[in-house]
Amino acid sequence: MNKRNFKRGLKGFWWLTIVFLYLPLAVVMLFSFNAANSAAHFTGFSLRWYIKLFGNQEIISAIGNTLVLAIVSSVIALVIGCLIGYGMYRHRHRKLGWLIILIYLPIVLPDIVFGISEMAFFVQIHQLTGFLKPGLGTMIIAHVTFEIPFVALIVYSRFVGLDPSLFEAAKDLYATPFKRVMHFMLPTIKPALISAFFLSFTLSVDDFVISFFTSGPESATLPIYIWSAIKKGISPEINAIATLMIGGVALAAVMSLLLNRRRAT
Amino acid sequence: MTEMTTSAHSGVENSLHSGAGSGSLGNEAGSKALDAAHEASRENASRRQASSIQMRGLHKRFGKDTVALNGVDLDIEAGEFFTLLGPSGCGKTTMLRILAGLEEADDGRLTIGGKDVTEVPPHHRSVNTVFQSYALFPHLSVRENLAFGLKMRGMPQAQREQKVAEIAGFIHLGDLIDRRIDQLSGGQKQRIALARALVCEPDVLLLDEPLSALDAGLRSQLQVELLRVQKRLGMTFVFVTHDQDEAMVMSDRIAVLNGGNIQQVGAPRDVYERPANAFVARFMGHDNLYRITARQGGRLTTEIGELEVEEQEIEEGNQHATQGELVLIRPETLDLKPGRVEGVNHLPGRITERLYRGSHAEFRIEIGSVVLQATVNNRGRHLPEVGDEVTVVVAAEDLVTLSE
Repeated sequence: MNKRNFKRGLKGFWWLTIVFLYLPLAVVMLFSFNAANSAAHFTGFSLRWYIKLFGNQEIISAIGNTLVLAIVSSVIALVIGCLIGYGMYRHRHRKLGWLIILIYLPIVLPDIVFGISEMAFFVQIHQLTGFLKPGLGTMIIAHVTFEIPFVALIVYSRFVGLDPSLFEAAKDLYATPFKRVMHFMLPTIKPALISAFFLSFTLSVDDFVISFFTSGPESATLPIYIWSAIKKGISPEINAIATLMIGGVALAAVMSLLLNRRRAT
Repeated sequence: MTEMTTSAHSGVENSLHSGAGSGSLGNEAGSKALDAAHEASRENASRRQASSIQMRGLHKRFGKDTVALNGVDLDIEAGEFFTLLGPSGCGKTTMLRILAGLEEADDGRLTIGGKDVTEVPPHHRSVNTVFQSYALFPHLSVRENLAFGLKMRGMPQAQREQKVAEIAGFIHLGDLIDRRIDQLSGGQKQRIALARALVCEPDVLLLDEPLSALDAGLRSQLQVELLRVQKRLGMTFVFVTHDQDEAMVMSDRIAVLNGGNIQQVGAPRDVYERPANAFVARFMGHDNLYRITARQGGRLTTEIGELEVEEQEIEEGNQHATQGELVLIRPETLDLKPGRVEGVNHLPGRITERLYRGSHAEFRIEIGSVVLQATVNNRGRHLPEVGDEVTVVVAAEDLVTLSE
């Protein structure tokens, strides 16, 4: 194979990747506007599945649960993860390798292991104390837990990228510890906080496995609803939900990008 | 102990009050000056009481084995441009950080402007630092960087803006004031870091190798600017550098440090021409140090030959001078005569190397088994060549004896 063919091959491979990534999404989006109840034939443009979807109380409550779960868990994870990220930075010269690995572990752990252990844990506590009944509360705790490492790592890497003497300059310029946080640290890591929030948000909306194991009967999120609906067969309604989710996640990604870019210019 | 801490804290309050007082005075002067000459207002606003510094028995160690400061006693006078000079790891930066309050001494006391500040945190000290990396806040504009210290001290915005405008005029920042930090060159950042520290009108300004990251031309330009600022404000400057040329150009006095100990304190001329020991001599760039094997009054027998030194030098209070086992011949003090000439302090030698530098030339001369460096001004006369036999002539008053 000569060099030119090799380059052509690479290019083809690139487009193949893009096709496999985005063609299924495009198909789902297209068929969500299908007039007919078919996943094979597109008969005409229609919004009937969207109208049907918003008439379905179960779906509305699933969307509500998903948003509440994503927003509340991201905010809590942001606060805790930010503190952990700063702590990791402050004590980076100590021998804390094992602690860092503890933070990393949930990222590499399979979701199913994480989900099952959380479920067993919550059930045990519920049987012993009556607290932590499976539901939105337990889901929030579980989501916060797996979002924290992402936030901590983003915040930590932002702090590591800063000139260490900035912290000393803030002290030197009469900033009390509280003012150092308000006027130096938070504004400086704001881009990292925005990225971390939207990453947590997306991870939470996206999560099925952990949600599934920690949810209660009243707290189905969109992924859980889709999973149970799909057992009855793929309907264009599901396509409409998927399209809404794609749109929502894309919106979050664009917003995070714009918020960070506005600061940079 | 408790008593000391309380006194330190009331000291801080006093200094804060006086700071606020002088601030409002500066404001009054400034608003009057809006009608009158602008120049006069700057002079008024920036004039303030300089502070002296006393260090007594300062100790600092890092970990078990690293001694950064080994019981340092040092007095810095009010309004002085004082330089801490030494190789890396000599303790100069630690000393500066202790002055700033960024590091706490393990032992000893530190007094600034008559107040014990040993345990006062940095945000309560009227001391500001120009950091080696400039440490400008990346999320703020130049203007906001300049106003940061004033804002943290709670100065009202109108007054803050006026102070920032004054300092920007004084340091000639011009149109840089609304730029972002990442749009600045190294030299511009350096001047903004200086302005950001000066605008707070500290009792003492600390400079941590502020020019080391700049190229030679910009560096000497900023050296001149720093000197001008210091002379006009009359502020006490403590400057850290490892560059002996820079130290000599800038300083009223220099402290040479090594291994956490002060080796010598003195005016640039003292330190360069009368180094207290071999370390200071070598650090100031002197290589012509020769072992004394015997001595009789002012007559020395050395490894380079027979030398006569002036007796008065021995009486100069420098104890080492009388017992010193080394003699220093500064390369620029000697004369080269062609051929063999007999006389006191005349040393016969042969040139083994010549570096022509335009305004002057540097020679390596073999005298017996030792080597002597000589610097000779190029006055347009004949310059000796490599291989020439020459006689090195040194004046007795230029010779310094010192110990290892």
